[in-house]
Amino acid sequence: MNLVQISLATGFLLILLGLYGALTNRDILRMIVSFTIADTGVNVVLVAVGYLPGREAPILDTIPVAEAASRITDPVPQALVLTAIVIGLGVTALMLAYAYRLFRARGSLDISEFTELKW
Amino acid sequence: MVSPLLILVAGLGAAFLLGLLRDTSERVAFYVTVAALGFMSFVALSWTVSLALGQVQPVDIYTADARPPFAINLRMGLPEATLASVVALIGLLSAVFMRRDLMRLGRQSMAVLLVLIMALSGLIMTRDLFNLFVFIELIVIASAGLVLLSQDTRALGAGFKYLIVSQVISILLLIGVIFTYHANGSLNIDDIAATPMGFTGASLAMFLVLIALVLELKPFPANGWALDIYESAHPGFSALFSAASGTATLFAVLKLFEASGPDWAPLATGIGLVTFVGANVLALAQDHGRRLLGYSSVGQIGLVLMVVGYGADWGVGLYYVAGGLLISHAIAKAGLFWLSGMVKARQLTDWAALRQNPVLVVAFATFIAMLSGLPPFPAFYAKWTLVHAMAEYADYPLMAIFLIAALIEAAVLFRWFGMAIKREATLPLAYNLSHETVVLIAMTAGWVLSFVWGPLSGFDNLVTVVPFLFALLFLPLDILPARIKNVIAIAGLVVWYVTSTGGLDPLRMIFLTIMVLGGALLLLASFHAKGRRMGFYTPAMLMFAGMALLVTSTTSFQFFAAWEFLTVGSYFLILRGANSEPHALSYITFSLGGAFALLAGFAIAAEGHYTFYLEDLSEVAPELAPYVFVLLAAGFLTKTATMGLHIWLPGAHAEAETDVSPMVSGILLKAGLFGLFVLVMEMGRQELYGVDLTVVLVWLGAISAFIGAVLAAFQEDAKRLLAYSSISQMGYALFGLALMNHLGWLLAMMFAINHFVYKSMLFLAVGGVKERTHTKLMYKMGGLITLMPYSFVSVLVGIIAMSGVPPLSGFGGRWIFYNAIMTTDLRLPMILIFMAGPVGFLYLFRLIHTIFLGQPKDELRKVKEAPFWILLPQMIFVAFLIAFAALPGMILQRVDGYIGTLFGDRPLVWTGRIIDSQYGTWNPVAIWGVIIAVFVTVLLLLVWMNHNAQRVKQFNIVFSAERPFKPQTTHFAWNFFAPYRKAMGFLEMPVSTSFWTGVSNALHGTAEFARKFYTGNGQTYAVQLLLFVIAVYLISMGASS
Amino acid sequence: MNFTTRKAIPLVLLLLLGSVFYALFAGYTPDETLNRSASYYASQTVQDTGAQNVVTAIIVTYRGLDTLGEVTVLFLTAAIVGLVLAHSKAPKGRSGSGFLPSGELLTTGTRMLVPVILLFGAYVFLNGHLTPGGGFQGGAIVASAMLLMLLSDSAERFSHRLISRIESSAGLTYVILGLLGMLFAGGFLDNRILPLGSFGSILSAGAIPLIYALIGLKVGAEFSSILTSLEATEDSQ
Repeated sequence: MNLVQISLATGFLLILLGLYGALTNRDILRMIVSFTIADTGVNVVLVAVGYLPGREAPILDTIPVAEAASRITDPVPQALVLTAIVIGLGVTALMLAYAYRLFRARGSLDISEFTELKW
Repeated sequence: MVSPLLILVAGLGAAFLLGLLRDTSERVAFYVTVAALGFMSFVALSWTVSLALGQVQPVDIYTADARPPFAINLRMGLPEATLASVVALIGLLSAVFMRRDLMRLGRQSMAVLLVLIMALSGLIMTRDLFNLFVFIELIVIASAGLVLLSQDTRALGAGFKYLIVSQVISILLLIGVIFTYHANGSLNIDDIAATPMGFTGASLAMFLVLIALVLELKPFPANGWALDIYESAHPGFSALFSAASGTATLFAVLKLFEASGPDWAPLATGIGLVTFVGANVLALAQDHGRRLLGYSSVGQIGLVLMVVGYGADWGVGLYYVAGGLLISHAIAKAGLFWLSGMVKARQLTDWAALRQNPVLVVAFATFIAMLSGLPPFPAFYAKWTLVHAMAEYADYPLMAIFLIAALIEAAVLFRWFGMAIKREATLPLAYNLSHETVVLIAMTAGWVLSFVWGPLSGFDNLVTVVPFLFALLFLPLDILPARIKNVIAIAGLVVWYVTSTGGLDPLRMIFLTIMVLGGALLLLASFHAKGRRMGFYTPAMLMFAGMALLVTSTTSFQFFAAWEFLTVGSYFLILRGANSEPHALSYITFSLGGAFALLAGFAIAAEGHYTFYLEDLSEVAPELAPYVFVLLAAGFLTKTATMGLHIWLPGAHAEAETDVSPMVSGILLKAGLFGLFVLVMEMGRQELYGVDLTVVLVWLGAISAFIGAVLAAFQEDAKRLLAYSSISQMGYALFGLALMNHLGWLLAMMFAINHFVYKSMLFLAVGGVKERTHTKLMYKMGGLITLMPYSFVSVLVGIIAMSGVPPLSGFGGRWIFYNAIMTTDLRLPMILIFMAGPVGFLYLFRLIHTIFLGQPKDELRKVKEAPFWILLPQMIFVAFLIAFAALPGMILQRVDGYIGTLFGDRPLVWTGRIIDSQYGTWNPVAIWGVIIAVFVTVLLLLVWMNHNAQRVKQFNIVFSAERPFKPQTTHFAWNFFAPYRKAMGFLEMPVSTSFWTGVSNALHGTAEFARKFYTGNGQTYAVQLLLFVIAVYLISMGASS
Repeated sequence: MNFTTRKAIPLVLLLLLGSVFYALFAGYTPDETLNRSASYYASQTVQDTGAQNVVTAIIVTYRGLDTLGEVTVLFLTAAIVGLVLAHSKAPKGRSGSGFLPSGELLTTGTRMLVPVILLFGAYVFLNGHLTPGGGFQGGAIVASAMLLMLLSDSAERFSHRLISRIESSAGLTYVILGLLGMLFAGGFLDNRILPLGSFGSILSAGAIPLIYALIGLKVGAEFSSILTSLEATEDSQ
């Protein structure tokens, strides 16, 4: 297994673990934490896809511009992952705020107690 | 033109600007918000108009001065501009609608709203896959924020469920996006290579992207979270969530399906169809208004998704059909959610509060018509095109499922409408001028949209059809007194008749006369109504417009559109009756079911041609023709209420208002008969699996004639009796038509005319009696002959005509009938229909005997004669019947000649006033002479025999024994034909009623079962979502391998 | 649903999802050379934008619309968290109850560290076009100073109003800069409204440092706003 495969596998595993946690824990806070784990997994997969074996970070301070195309890794996933991280953070903050509000409304953080809307 | 980017910039800039305002200046913040939304709408609309007029070309907008795929680019073409306008306008109107709650929560909530609309516009315009993801996340977060506008604390739970599900979706989407990038070396949507479904590498990534986007459309059954939002959120936000978000997301899905190539189209078709069916079945079980709207949204979006998949190779046609559906849905759904904000209580029946404001009822009806695909709204054209395309590709099962689901949807919506019209609300309307304005703007937009969509269809623009406009004219005129409107209506019908008679063959001429001139005649009875009679004339004129258009139609499109017009018009009319809610619902369900059968029949016959002339029915490919025949016949037989498809009729006709009953019975049934005429004339005999279909029709006609008569004889309710009698009479006409010979057709024609005359007369007479006695139950009447002599005469003449005894025109009908059946070799149905004659006597005798003869009831001793205006048309009919009986040649000879040209024979010989056939001679004038002589003789005999008879008072008899427990059971008129009932009562067994009840129960049962999956637990919803993804994955893997 | 099925169903589903992922994993081969997007960036970035850090150029310029969206995500989150929490504040007068006052060590440490952290944050976002880092990272660092201050004395309140002003003005300026790109350069968010300067120096890459500074301020303000909103919930027990 090379580096890319290891990180891809780790990413996927984190996603699955996170989702498992989110789908089996009834506690809302645990669900949120699980989702952040899954998000991390996604981010790992994102950067792993951009990696080209044996290349350097796409910063042209030591790399001459002319050689850039043959020496740097793919910069796009690195740009994307930043956006993904920030968005994940935003959603997490929002879920936490919701959790707080839900707790204040019901005094409980058990997801199965918020089922008055159905059918 | 200003740059479309300004739509995004304005939204974002205004959102940031709000932060600079003081916390206390909510009012200013609100104006800034509205101004920004207004500006966004203006930019989008100006692009729409310019693009539509061809003044500008579609543009690609590059950011950062680099070509795609290296920088993000946006596109502004006609579809983008149109949908961005829809989104921005709905945003603007919703902002106005939510004003109070936005001000309550402050400027932050307004910023969230602005960002939502900005993100939706971005989602529509962007051509970059990752940018799409960013906009989707913005939409998710903004939606989760706006859910908080609701004062309903349950919304909190709903918002959290939404966030959970969105997390799962965004994980799938991101994985899909990054692997798609890896495969294509580009994030631009236009660079996505068309990958076949094979599920390795690139295609698996594509699958994840597509499924994640489809999940955003809330597909059935992975949509519990969305429904909770619809139910609990602020109605202004629900309007946005359904109309704006749904529209934008669907367009994003469309973009990706276009890019990913036709191999993926079945995915959209399949999920769309399942969603459309599932959501509508579940909607059946809903009694909560907003949740029903949620299901309806899901279903409609599913429908558009199906079109996206199915029409993947239609090119511009796809945009026309999908766009029409999508925009109609957006307008109607936004309008309905806004309306729901004005209805305080949440049950469907609480929508009855709308009746306080008739304009809102019109808006409600408009939205429902838009959703159910009725003309002249865009969804109607879409439905037409879609079904024709399905027929072209011979996807019959798909077509059947689609039409059944569409029927269920219509039933759901009309059930709701019926409740709103007939039930009582628990809480009054939460009236608010700005809310009403918003709703009315949506309604106007719906009409404008239809006006724009019509000419694009390549067919007639149905909004501008004159009879339809005439019907609409009565909406503003509704403030006038009923009598003035009645004069206008009658004048309109007469003028239309005079101007449209040219060029019609005698057959169509007769139907036109019955439908239009007959309608004018019957409207005389409506002069009896007092006050304004709101909501009567528009539906009535809509029905007549439909019939006028039906008879003059030449293409299948015109025919079908007219059919839907008359169906809808008559539905509204029938719904006006006092206890008619369930009957009107079963009427519209059966009628639309029949209409869909027609649509399917026409579509199959057309074989891919979207314009199809009715006369080409004779040239349908022989392998398709029998099926076309069956479908069309089924559609028409629903309208003529042939046994088995009849269960809607008795209630609908009996519960209608006094002057409506004759219209829907005497006139409306003829529409079905006209259709059958056209059908057998053009298609002739057809065989399916060796069975001659016309023989099947003969049997159906005979059975209807016989059982209809038997059932009529057992009714206690006079109007129900007449209603069953119509089933029987239409059976005769069907029988005659299906004989497929000259005399049979002449017979059918005779019945068409006669049935119109005497059924209108009898319904009016019985209606007149009901006006005075306030009951329709015959055992509560009796002895009215002296009190209501004119009504008596009219019933007497009516039943003489109907029973076919000389001298009235019914006899002519019988005479031709006997001649006709002598020429056929179908002995068994002949015997059956022959027996129907005497049974007919039974119920007619009951009608006149129990109402007008016998002992008068105490409480009815002082009733007056029926009102003048109800009597007047009856007297005209009496005069007509007598004249028609003496001079049948007036009309019949021409028809006979015309039918002769079709069959090339002349079984009847007309010499002067005498008619000869192979079996005998009919001399109407001589018959009159004989009858008068016999009558006078018998009369004189009676007078002589009774010269010393003694008058006794009514109660000059001896009572004995106890007081009966149930007085009516001792009345002779109660269970009048008890002995016959013993013998033939088994025919009363509600076989077809139980069948249809069973169908309905099965559907409801399915819905009740399926909704158990909606547990309300957000975690379960997330599991269901994953289950859905995996299931779709496995199914499509199976399909693609 | 009993304990085992409740966990077994997700397990089975996730195993199936895992098989989907496995297919992706097995079918993945890293590229040998840069794909066409990446090679365009490798060869054109310097010429187009003058930025040393290619990732920054992509974030701020080529995919500037994404970044604007990203900033908006934080803006939205801050607004909504504010909304959510503003309407369920704890009863008044119980502020800080149940918490020990922060210790001497924390208070003094905070006073010492906050200026340094702020300075470091500014350094990170101003050098985003040259070295790893940028507006988001810098903004997060700035906000960590804020967190420290909140921890050190939970009674200390920052002017929510000031934070929101910084946030809004930065956002508005960002949008206006984007528009200026449309007016004076090649398109929305084009960084060449300012001279590209000499490659590798701090004042180079056109508007990128400016935009990153705005992003840094905005992100810092947004995080701070979220933090203060969340901090307010501590009172509620």
